[in-house]
Amino acid sequence: MSFAKTAVTAARRRPDADRLLTWLCVGLPLLGLVLFFLYPMVIVFLRSLTVEDGYGLANYSQVLASAGFWRATWHSLLMGGTTTALSVFLGFIIAHGLHRCAFPGKWLVRGVIVLPLLAPSLVQALGLIFLLGRNGVVSRALGIEIEIYGFWGLLIANTLYALPQAVMIIGAALVLLDARTYEAAEVMGASPSRQFRDLTLPAARFGILNAAFVCFTITITDFGNAAVIGGDYSVLATEIYSQVVGQRNFNMGAVVGIMLLLPTVVSYAIERQAMKRQQTGQATGQVRYRPSFAPLRDTVMAALALLICAGIVAVIGIVVYASFVTLWPYNMALSPKHYDITLAGGYSSLWMTIVISVMAATGGTLAVFLLGLGLRRLPRRAAQPIQVLAAMPAAVPGMVLGLAYILTFNSTATPLYLLYGTAALIAIINFYHYHTQGFLTLMTGFRQLPPALEEAAGSLGAGLGRTAVDIVAPFIAPMLVSVFFFLFMRSMVTLSAVVFLTTPDLSVAAVTIMRLDDAGLTSQAAAFSTCVMAVVCLALLSMKATLALMSRRKRSKDTA
Amino acid sequence: MYLTVRDATKTYGSFTALDRVSIGIDQGEFVCLLGPSGCGKTTLLRLIAGLSDLDGGQILLEGAALSDLPARKRGFGIVFQSYSLFPNMTVAENIGYGLKIRGTHRSEVARRVSELLELVKLPQLADNFPGQLSGGQQQRIALARAIAVDPRVLLLDEPLSALDAKVRSELRDEIRHVQRSLGIPTLMVTHDQEEALALADKIICMNHGVVVQAGTPEHLYHRPRTRFVAEFMGISNLLTADAVRRAFPDLPARQPGGTEGNHVACIRPEQIGVTPAPDGNATVRNISFLGNLRRLEVDSAGGPLVVETHGSDACREGDRVMLRLAPDACTWVADDLARDPAEVRA
Repeated sequence: MSFAKTAVTAARRRPDADRLLTWLCVGLPLLGLVLFFLYPMVIVFLRSLTVEDGYGLANYSQVLASAGFWRATWHSLLMGGTTTALSVFLGFIIAHGLHRCAFPGKWLVRGVIVLPLLAPSLVQALGLIFLLGRNGVVSRALGIEIEIYGFWGLLIANTLYALPQAVMIIGAALVLLDARTYEAAEVMGASPSRQFRDLTLPAARFGILNAAFVCFTITITDFGNAAVIGGDYSVLATEIYSQVVGQRNFNMGAVVGIMLLLPTVVSYAIERQAMKRQQTGQATGQVRYRPSFAPLRDTVMAALALLICAGIVAVIGIVVYASFVTLWPYNMALSPKHYDITLAGGYSSLWMTIVISVMAATGGTLAVFLLGLGLRRLPRRAAQPIQVLAAMPAAVPGMVLGLAYILTFNSTATPLYLLYGTAALIAIINFYHYHTQGFLTLMTGFRQLPPALEEAAGSLGAGLGRTAVDIVAPFIAPMLVSVFFFLFMRSMVTLSAVVFLTTPDLSVAAVTIMRLDDAGLTSQAAAFSTCVMAVVCLALLSMKATLALMSRRKRSKDTA
Repeated sequence: MYLTVRDATKTYGSFTALDRVSIGIDQGEFVCLLGPSGCGKTTLLRLIAGLSDLDGGQILLEGAALSDLPARKRGFGIVFQSYSLFPNMTVAENIGYGLKIRGTHRSEVARRVSELLELVKLPQLADNFPGQLSGGQQQRIALARAIAVDPRVLLLDEPLSALDAKVRSELRDEIRHVQRSLGIPTLMVTHDQEEALALADKIICMNHGVVVQAGTPEHLYHRPRTRFVAEFMGISNLLTADAVRRAFPDLPARQPGGTEGNHVACIRPEQIGVTPAPDGNATVRNISFLGNLRRLEVDSAGGPLVVETHGSDACREGDRVMLRLAPDACTWVADDLARDPAEVRA
């Protein structure tokens, strides 16, 4: 049949520069994901099965038979559960206060709540030691001895660290509620408490669930707080560290890593489902809820929110303060002498971390941009599995990824060995550790870009390259800026992923802080932390300024 | 034919969006693809633009196959329903973008841009951004942007659908004027039959992925071939042969080939004459006053009919009237909607 023949010839198109470019856009980031995420994860899995004479489950049976492992697992789950309950509860109070109540000074609450994100996680632990430790301000003032090392100290430190996430996620769910729904309920005679029970809570349900899983994952995968304030309270993350660094037992470390991976993967999978459910409930053209002042409710909520914020400020602030104290707690005179850091390579690791963070942010932003650009032009069945892969790294704890890297790149089996011990590799691990968040942020930007814009550019004669530069990049510029600074700030403070990859010649800021604290130089650790926080704060302010400038320019383009 | 589409086929999984569709556009012709949503008209336009790939068939421009050319090398202009101006560029930059890509000298671009702004009557907006413009203005700029590169074919994808009624009719005239004066072969997709009637040299009426009928607006309106076309192109009275005989006993009811069951008579409301007569054969049930005309619903011996009259006929609701119909004002159409559309095609 002649018809069948034309059908075949029509379907086969000559290779065209744009198609090649599309595959390049997808191919390069995809190659990165395979080399620097999938492959190391396969290696860590294989190593967990490696025994003296080939492969087997001997490592697993050995780990499962050890009391230490079960203690650490129980501790991790208990700590994860308690921290989650506490931070979601406190997070809901603050989010509800910010979005559903009317009181002045919300900007202050908003500002304070992100503070824990601007510092390495071990800063909360340091702060608690300065406040509640044996020589802490509170302990001395009250003349009592508090045992801060262990469960309670770790619980508070982890809660402070997870709280910003809880506030942001629950807040995002509360913002979605339409004011008209409340007006309708009001007209129908529902009291404020009924409205809260019947409208607010059900609508925030998925946000709360989502926040719970995120907090749980953050807590059980965190290493910094556990290392500084955990004391004898061993958790899975510290267990991996002691297996690998303490006992040089990589295979056993891999086993514990795989065990830590299980709950995080499950938690992440549920979280993604919850997020999908929440997004489908979103209506278009909604009217934002504007709370009016209700004296009793708002005074109480404001007081609670400020109280929690005061706690955060105290814990972070005391670190900054202590860094200037001459000899804590005996000579409280202020002096800058702790900033003269000579141990652990001095400030060289801070500069190195900045360089690494810029590398991770630049390369990472470019990689997710190319990936997003290419994915738009791929058929759905090809794009879907790549999207799933791109969203996977968030399920992997930093410790596990770090371990996977050392197992993969510290082996002379492949040319990838050349990367071992370089700043580039640390930049790479930081990017892939936070790949998911960067990718998903940019994808929301891409989703807002109407396909007709690219099609219009195409029919005017613009190829993929031109369209990317002239049309796509300007459109999603705010998202690119956000992703860049997000990757930069995370790279500045992350500890768990990089702790295995630093060498005596190449260290990063968070590891230096841990080493200084280990060496008993707590004040110098505080000083170094303060420097890191200053850099990250500066980055955050630059981001806000850039975004504000962009939105002002956009507004001036949208109004006559 | 200048542009020829031959046996174009497009499937999405098991859904056939286009089934061996063949159409043609002549030099300087304005062609409208008309049909309800989901009939495949936009799919066809996107295939012609090169924005999606054919599963079968051919698209030829002046005899040369286009299938291998990506959209950016076809040299076509396109205007979308959703304005789709580049928000980060000024009006002038938007219009000049295609020329800039072609490496046209900057002074030449500026000259052409101001010429086009004059053409769409918006010279004062050159330095504004799209966000500062009204929908109608944005669509004019989109039109200017599409014709800036002297496109070989102009493609319009429901360009007026997002606009208010008044702006829509203004821009409709404008599009017609621009297209006539430049003589660009144009293909417009629309679901609005009034728009198609007003603009097109040729209307291609589509349904369920196939072309149902193609021809001049007059032809499609007065001589629809199927019930679908008759109903889609304005109001019509569709009667069985039996009902026609009862309603208009004087009319020699001719019909093609005796296949009475498969055909119905299509009678346009303005072709039925009404005169008040106490001994008439119908009763006025309802009258709607529409300004320039009156629409009467009358009960005849053949069932209810819609009649439109100009002038001030003194009919009242409940009056008896006499209905008249010229013998050639009645078109027999295939009753394609009563059955599975696949069968009608066969």
